Amino acid sequence: MLSRFSAPFLRCFVVSGLALGIASCATKPPASDPASLAAFQETNDALEPFNRTMFTLDQALDTVILRPVFWSYREFVPDPARRGVTNFLRNLRSPITVANSLLQGNVTRAGQTVSRFLVNSTVGILGFGDVAADMGTPYQYEDFGQTLATWGVGSGSYLYLPGFGPMSIRDGFGLAFDNFTFDPVAWYNYGANPRWVQWAYFGALYVDLKTSTMSATDELKASSIDYYAALRSAYRQNRFKEIRNGTAAPLPTLPDDGEGDPFADEPSKK
Amino acid sequence: MISRRHFAGLSLAIGIVGGRPAGAQEWRNSPNQLIEQFAQLGIKDILGVAISRREKTDRFRVLFKDFFDIPSIGRFVLGRFARAASAEDNQKFSTLFEDVIVYTWSRRFAEYKGQTLKVKDSTPDGEDGAVVNSDILGNDGQSFAVSWRLRKRETGFRVVDVIIEGVSMAITYRQEYATVIQQSGGMAGLLDQMQKQVDDLKAKVG
Repeated sequence: MLSRFSAPFLRCFVVSGLALGIASCATKPPASDPASLAAFQETNDALEPFNRTMFTLDQALDTVILRPVFWSYREFVPDPARRGVTNFLRNLRSPITVANSLLQGNVTRAGQTVSRFLVNSTVGILGFGDVAADMGTPYQYEDFGQTLATWGVGSGSYLYLPGFGPMSIRDGFGLAFDNFTFDPVAWYNYGANPRWVQWAYFGALYVDLKTSTMSATDELKASSIDYYAALRSAYRQNRFKEIRNGTAAPLPTLPDDGEGDPFADEPSKK
Repeated sequence: MISRRHFAGLSLAIGIVGGRPAGAQEWRNSPNQLIEQFAQLGIKDILGVAISRREKTDRFRVLFKDFFDIPSIGRFVLGRFARAASAEDNQKFSTLFEDVIVYTWSRRFAEYKGQTLKVKDSTPDGEDGAVVNSDILGNDGQSFAVSWRLRKRETGFRVVDVIIEGVSMAITYRQEYATVIQQSGGMAGLLDQMQKQVDDLKAKVG
């Protein structure tokens, strides 16, 4: 019954959300104020009023309902077991990385992921152990948002949706695309199989993601006064790194104020 | 019998007495050695010693000021707003910013579980700087990448930014504070909120 209702409900939710978002766009500064305009473009958050509302909602849900779940999971399930779950989910989702590596023209990475899948599914016992990483092929992740980025598609505005966290319009589309195409659970759903498997899978993914990022986000929250703005900045920088896939930790580009190295000492102090 | 505590005290004394002469501080001119030294001192004198939280915080402030160029980071974080602000406000910001970092980092010192830092390599950066790439290794086999952006100053290299998993501390603060300044009452609004944050953090450190 639920599934029959959920599609129109979801559509209604998305449409009204978008309408709300468009209606509450942030005001773009005039061209006569270049510094503010540059800051507006750097922030790239045309939907900020909508996003902040969703962010507040998400934080409230998180504190009241979900946080105790993540906390108990982290506190009561031993480390190796949680790592096993992470490994299992990563292994299961290998097709997403393989397909997107190929779409990005990276045959080597696709091959590495296939071999990881074969090793971990057998020697690693259904993917619970990451034997391949110990053998020198570490985990890599590619999604359709990254593929679009390498094809030159711009990120579009920043987007914050409850339950999904920070993303951009492009990466949100990428997430949905992967979910309906390369994600094994989509293939499973093509058969007349029970839907609870899908919900268990989404639940596990969500708990795993939140638990693994919890200490980083808690840290950011404690060190910031506008957590929304800090998270937006950190998300974008981390995503930039993922898209560039550097092995040597590619650094974010320093903003240019037109005065050369922004960390150079003031001329008077030299 | 020399207990472990005696030994730690002894090595600290040797570090203080023996480490001070200028000639013995060649590591200040080597990016890799500077970071190794920072990690070693941090573990030896702060993280791995049984002292009170407040003592750890105080020691960290000394170490932090010695290895980081805080005024330079502050100017970068404020960016165009620093040029528009009064000298008094800039000074206030600098003091608060130092406190924000000292107290946020100190919060987590008690959670130290024997992690170590391993410097991998370094590359030139900017006019006369370098970026040192390192890994923080946990004893559970987990590791994460931390890069340190350095600039050459009169006394040797100083850290101006820390980049964890692609996220720059300086850029994150810069973008966050720009939003705060624009949305909550300019520079005065920012200083006000930073003061509140520092008071809260201070109360927790005790």
